[in-house]
Parts: sequence; structure tokens; C-alpha cells
Amino acid sequence: MNQATSHLPEELIERCKQGDEKAFQDLYKLYARAMFNVSYRITGREEEAQDVLQESFISAYRNISNYRGDSTFGSWLKRIVVNRSINALRARRMELMPEDSDFDVKEEEPQEIYREELTVDKVKKAIMALPDGYRSVLSLYLLEGYDHEEIASILNITESTSKSQLNRAKAKLRERLTTIV
Amino acid sequence: MKNELRNFIQYNRTSFDDKEVPPQAWAKIQQQLFGKSVFWQPIRYWQVAATLFFGLSAFLLLQDKLSPKQQLAGKEFAQTEAFYAQQIAEKTNMIYSTNDSDLNGLTQDFQQLEAMYMVLKEEMKQRPSEQVKDALILNMLVRINLLNKQLQKLDETRQVKKSDVIS
Repeated sequence: MNQATSHLPEELIERCKQGDEKAFQDLYKLYARAMFNVSYRITGREEEAQDVLQESFISAYRNISNYRGDSTFGSWLKRIVVNRSINALRARRMELMPEDSDFDVKEEEPQEIYREELTVDKVKKAIMALPDGYRSVLSLYLLEGYDHEEIASILNITESTSKSQLNRAKAKLRERLTTIV
Repeated sequence: MKNELRNFIQYNRTSFDDKEVPPQAWAKIQQQLFGKSVFWQPIRYWQVAATLFFGLSAFLLLQDKLSPKQQLAGKEFAQTEAFYAQQIAEKTNMIYSTNDSDLNGLTQDFQQLEAMYMVLKEEMKQRPSEQVKDALILNMLVRINLLNKQLQKLDETRQVKKSDVIS
């Protein structure tokens, strides 16, 4: 499913709007892996990420006529995946924001000295070990590139809650990876 | 050192997308959007028949003598085969008499099933048994089912063309 395709997304999208199944399969090949990983980082479960991936692509195809090209197709699709992943977490009755979320952590980050050299594997494991709420905010900010305004809208929280949650998530992550000086 | 983690993640961003998509994920999307079967898409008819065949072969390795029961199974099968073979021949002729059908997928599945059938039939000659007889009958029923589906498809296409002409 990961073969490269010679078609440009714009061309594929136009063909999808005409109901071209092959074009949609090519779009799937282009974006499925990235979207699966986005969902996995939020839900923390592979089976759930697969369900979200499937529902998101189905929804994207059915609504593709609404895609006007104001943002890239990848961003448009990612927003669908993120929203559905958050809904999946909520369906599990997960408390997205812990009770102490009002507790504000200083935005100024301390200097970081790492016990050992950072590796992708270590950082990934540390992120996945975070509680669901922290992991979601941290992933949305550090990996998916959303700002606090967007995260606030996605999670239905205030911007300041988004900021304090991110700081708390970073502090938790740092505990696992660093010594603070 | 400040923001070292953020810089590290940004620098290695693509390495964080390392989870492989489960290969079966596309099949459900395809089924929901384009109405294609999840089961029969990845597992073709001939693969089912092959599995049955190999299971049967393993069973037969444990048997080496022909019993009266086996001989009876051989005789009974000859009558059943004639009945189903007639149906297969008629339906095949009906399909091949049309020139406008796409038979590629059907032909491939059909040829695989026929090849499997010949091997099973040889087995039936050497070591007739109820199990081989059942596998042969199942093979023919699967082929008849394939032919019926193709005939239905042709009929639907014909109806659409007819209604296009009328309108």
C-alpha cells in the first residue's frame, strides 16, 4: 500500500470528484500511513486507529466535493482524522483534561539536559506512555503542527488550558527523558 | 539546550510515522464506498479450492487401501458429475455467446478451478472416497455460482442498455 504514485494530489482529487475509484485508492496510498500514525498517537491503540482511518477516508470521499483547496488536501484530511480520533477517545469516556488542568505551569521552559542521547525510539515510547489527554495535546502541538488556537477548537477547551496542558505534558515527558537543571 | 526536544522532533519528524497501516484497512473502505466484497476480494475462489485440496491430500496420505465404500463413492460420483457438467457447459456457452462482456476475472478464476478439478479427479480415480467426491462437487458448485453471477451481470448490463434506448 505504500507504492509511490506518479499522480499529483490535485489531479487525483479532481478524478475522485468524478467518482474514480482508482484515483481514490492512489490518494489512500499517498496519505494512509501518515493518517494512521496521527490517529495512533492520539488514540494510543492500533485497532482504534485503523477504525478511525477507515471512517475518515470514507467520510473524506463522501465529502470530497466540499474540499475547495483552501488548505492542502493533507491538512483537510488530517483534521478529519484528528477530530475522529478525539471522538474515539471521548467515546471511551476518557477524561481529556485532568481536574488539575487549571494549574498553570510556567510557560518558560527550563533548560534541558538529557541523561542519554535522544533517539526517536525513546521519545516515541515516552510520548506513548503519557496519559491520553497529555499525549493528545502534545502530539497535536509538537508533531501535527497545530497552534493553541486550533488545539483549543479541536478539544473544545480554552487557549490557556491548551497551553497549560502542553506544559504539563512536556514536564511529564521531560521526567522520563531528562534531568532538569 | 532549550527546546532541544522540540528541535529533535522537528528534525526527525518523518521517523515518527513508522507504524504500518494494516493491509486489510483498504478492503473495508472499498466495500463501504464501492460495494466490493471484503471476503472474496483478497481470497480468490481458487485459493479456497486449493486449501480444500491440500487438506484433503493430507487426509488421503493416511489411507492406502481401496474399500468397497470407496468404489461405491466412485460410481455415485460419475452420475453427479454428468449432471453438473451439463449445467456448466450450458452456462459457459451462454456467456461466451455474448461479445460485450469483460471475462478476464472470471476466466482466471475458472481456469484455476478447472485445473484443481483435474487433479482432484485423478485422485478420485486412484483413491475414490466420499471426501474427494465432496471436494469435486464443491468445485463444480463454485464454478456454477461464478457462472450465475456473470450471467446476472450480463443481464443487468442488457437491461441498462435497453432502458437507455427506450429513453
